[in-house]
Amino acid sequence: MSGRRSRISEEEINELISKLQILLPDNYHHRHRGSSRASAATLLKETCNYIKSLHKEVSELSGQLSELMAATDFNGAQAEVLQSIFRS
Amino acid sequence: MNLTVCDEEMDGFVSRLLIRWRVGMADGKPAEMESGGERKRKRGVEASSSSSSCSSSSAVAKWRTEGEQRNYSSKLIAALRRVRSATPSPAGSRAVREAADRALAVAARGRTRWSRAILLSSKIPSLKRSRVLLRRRATFRPKPVAAGRSSRPPALEKKTRVLGRLVPGCRKLPLPSLLEEVSDYIAALQMQVRAMSAIAQILSATSDTGGAPPPPPM
Repeated sequence: MSGRRSRISEEEINELISKLQILLPDNYHHRHRGSSRASAATLLKETCNYIKSLHKEVSELSGQLSELMAATDFNGAQAEVLQSIFRS
Repeated sequence: MNLTVCDEEMDGFVSRLLIRWRVGMADGKPAEMESGGERKRKRGVEASSSSSSCSSSSAVAKWRTEGEQRNYSSKLIAALRRVRSATPSPAGSRAVREAADRALAVAARGRTRWSRAILLSSKIPSLKRSRVLLRRRATFRPKPVAAGRSSRPPALEKKTRVLGRLVPGCRKLPLPSLLEEVSDYIAALQMQVRAMSAIAQILSATSDTGGAPPPPPM
């Protein structure tokens, strides 16, 4: 037996995965709030879910933007926007 | 119809847009993301000292800077105007999505796999594409498909595969590289959402003030 371990050990994998926890917003950790450790499998799953929800949000925003673009004239809108920004 | 807007105006517009968003929006979500972003940036700095991938957390922090978001917003708005002038019929949400993703990939400056994958999948030929391809070929060495397969628990295997499918261009990536791509991709997506929300808010506020022609009755 060459005794060859996987090049990256299990713990290193778990450590890398735990770093993902930093990126997930707090509302993703209902159960683990406050505890610094969630299992690797949970983190992976929540990461997948989070990415999916981000994708969905981008799609919705794209829909909104395409509607808004049709409704407003970009050029006229820009002048209005500058005015409203200077005012507020 | 005169569509020309000079770049400084656009830049000013976008930067004002960001300031307004940061300062005032009472919406829970943007505020939460801003404070969450700051907190996460601190934790990211702590984490970086303990690992060799400190470059990845600084890259992640880059997506949270205002300058980056401003840069992205202006590129996105320019792209949207191009889309709009190119198609006389109203732009579909898909066109907007693709423009947004492309702009995001460009903002990544080709340093990550997912951004290169997005750029490659768009059909616009560009010098950047061929340069990127050449560079990847030069540095790519065939991964030794280890006979002693790295033992990942099967539960992780499956989720890893799902994750790899979600991030563009990362299907076959081994886990450590995949995680690095994932963290950059998530930070980029968060910025994309922030920027697009801000633009949508501004545009909808504009169309409400009646300066623009009223939207057609539904």
